[in-house]
Amino acid sequence: MISTDKPTGTPARRRSHRWFIALLLAPTLVGMGIFTILPILGSLVLAFFEWDLVSAPTFNGVDNFVALGADTTIRRAFINTIGFVAIAVTLQLALAMFLAVMIQSRMPNWLRLFFRSTFFFPLVLSAASVSIFMRYMFNEQFGVVNWMLNLVGISSVPWLTTQTGAAAVVIFVFVWQNFGFSFLILIGGLASIPKELHEAAEIDGASGWRHFRNITLPLISPSMLVASVTAMITALQVFDQPYVLTRGGPGDSTRSAVMVVFEAAFQRLEFGLASATGLVLMLIIMLITWGQFRLSRRLVFYQ
Amino acid sequence: MNHSTDLRRLSRRGLLGLGGLTAVGLTGAAWPRLTGTDIPSRNEDVLRIAIQGTAQDAAARQSLVDAFTEAHPDIPVRLQAIQSADWGDFFTKILTMTAAGTAPDVTYVATEGAQLFAERMAEPLDRWVDGDHTEVADYFEDVHPSLIESFMYDGSLYTLPLDFNAANMYLNLDTLRSSNLDFPSEDWDVEEFESMLRTMKEHQGTDFSPYYWTNRLFGGIVPWLYANDTSILREDRFDGGSWLWDRFYSADQVAERRGGYRWTTSNVSSDAVGETFEMLNRWVREGLSVRPEEGGGNALVGLFASSRIGATPAGGYWAQGLHEAGMAEDRFDVQYFPRWRSQRHQFGSAGYAMMRSSERKEQAWEWLKFTASKEGMELAFPSPETTPTRRSMATPEFYRETGPERWKVFYDTLDEFPDSGPIPAPPQQAEIENALARNVATAMGGSQAQLHDALDRLDGELTAAMESPA
Repeated sequence: MISTDKPTGTPARRRSHRWFIALLLAPTLVGMGIFTILPILGSLVLAFFEWDLVSAPTFNGVDNFVALGADTTIRRAFINTIGFVAIAVTLQLALAMFLAVMIQSRMPNWLRLFFRSTFFFPLVLSAASVSIFMRYMFNEQFGVVNWMLNLVGISSVPWLTTQTGAAAVVIFVFVWQNFGFSFLILIGGLASIPKELHEAAEIDGASGWRHFRNITLPLISPSMLVASVTAMITALQVFDQPYVLTRGGPGDSTRSAVMVVFEAAFQRLEFGLASATGLVLMLIIMLITWGQFRLSRRLVFYQ
Repeated sequence: MNHSTDLRRLSRRGLLGLGGLTAVGLTGAAWPRLTGTDIPSRNEDVLRIAIQGTAQDAAARQSLVDAFTEAHPDIPVRLQAIQSADWGDFFTKILTMTAAGTAPDVTYVATEGAQLFAERMAEPLDRWVDGDHTEVADYFEDVHPSLIESFMYDGSLYTLPLDFNAANMYLNLDTLRSSNLDFPSEDWDVEEFESMLRTMKEHQGTDFSPYYWTNRLFGGIVPWLYANDTSILREDRFDGGSWLWDRFYSADQVAERRGGYRWTTSNVSSDAVGETFEMLNRWVREGLSVRPEEGGGNALVGLFASSRIGATPAGGYWAQGLHEAGMAEDRFDVQYFPRWRSQRHQFGSAGYAMMRSSERKEQAWEWLKFTASKEGMELAFPSPETTPTRRSMATPEFYRETGPERWKVFYDTLDEFPDSGPIPAPPQQAEIENALARNVATAMGGSQAQLHDALDRLDGELTAAMESPA
């Protein structure tokens, strides 16, 4: 076994211990440096240049940021993304919480295991494959969803070809695929709540709602914080579902911020504008995450 | 120092050494991958040819490569299959390779990217064609000038097009029979087409769609715009091109030919464009047509083969697709696109382009010539997965296994309607296609007011795109 305690030996031994830690961290740090830090720095530089891959990059100051602000499609994509995050993350967390509480209540262990695996399963599927599959399911003329609606006398819904329908499907597919992760985090949090607290509350005659509000919710709040931060970051980066399901349409109704980065870079070869857009998105993600942690000081309770 | 401390120190040193050795070993083993030297043909003295597709697509062309190698044993060739979602994606990957200094010598280019490549990456073929004019004369004699002109840009030629597809109208014969409809005549018009859709709708079930179309540059709204003698972009021609027309074609064949298509600005504000959009919008509202599907219409073959679609626009490439989907020859057929103000058809074509950055241009030209020869094209297109550009290959034998009965329509489209034009794809094609797709979707999804908003917006976006640098 390797001790990670601070060594108390000679200075030479302490130096050796530091080198050892550095060596163990090196592969991760090198990987992060090459694949995360360098691209971010590259994007930062590129955001101030005009570059189409073929010609030499030319410095254009803040033109890309000005263009970004003036471009109605990009503005719309950012607004879409914020709206999408608000709805999708709320639904995802609410669904995950509901199912976690249901499953954590009286239920045989084997059934609990079955549900855990089932709810997590969509997460291990490729988002592109799921979206292709869902595109068939929600096809207006030939999809199984409308076929089932028709069976119960409801007329076909133009799911993917109207703005509201397309947005609803993108949100549904995203939530369906991602709620399993929040669910697992929350069920872990629920399992760590001491049973004695619920037993004591029961003796005091607390209702189910009081159990949830005064015991479960405060004690699960650290898990909620983790679940909401990860869900928010994932939702802000949504790409696969709208790209495969609707290509951002109809119109721009489901175009996301990452889609406009992709389109600027890989369809229009405007790598400067794409970098600027990516940086703005990164700043938004950082700002929201920072806000969540600030808020957590008041709302999250650690035992 | 006790025994357990010795063990701990030993294990730490051992771990350090093992970790170091593992890291060195892994780095060494992965070195070709990390440096990209394991990429096929990188640093090899071979002619590198990029095609859109998978390793299977490259393997399918092996007989072509073998035949070329036999004819030119001194020119080693390697096909690089580049997987991509569509032509736009493929072109971007080629641009990325060019920027990385690993551009192929030759690239298979479709009409969608013809002008982008001509503007940025492709070598004009003029001097090569001129120098070897006797060798390539039979090619030009066999290929319709419309296809050649679609690959001319500013008076120069950039590929020898090898295959093409015009937007013809596929009709499901099962549906026609069960709707008591006769097969339409060659000069049918839009009114007859609409009437046919209505009859189909009356006779078929609720899970049936009379007309199905996709939302993209080829086969979307553009064929209807061409039929109505208009387009989303104002169309003009470059001057020049006489060096080719005068040498290879008779004067009456090329009286209207110039130096290639030149799209100048948006034409969306024209009445004819509005009229075309309104007609399709009405068809959607009346259930005669689906709203256009985004993407490549992957479900289309299966839906058509299972008789849930009555009509859809497609080219010769669909003959093989429907055959593979199990559709017998007597269950589908093809007709020219219906007439409106004109019967101009839309087509897209493709061929090999020589890259400007290539240091093997002589060898690349030999590849271009070989693949454009009759032998090369017969090896490249053994079945009707597309329409070969050589008229002499449009034979009953070529379509014997797949049908359709009226296979002549595919090539005759160019002869019967010589004003047929290529996909409107200026160098800003990606922006044009994006703007078109998203606004067509909006225009077809709602009210008349929404339609006019979408057209105004499309007009603005196309104008901006055409004003941006090529």
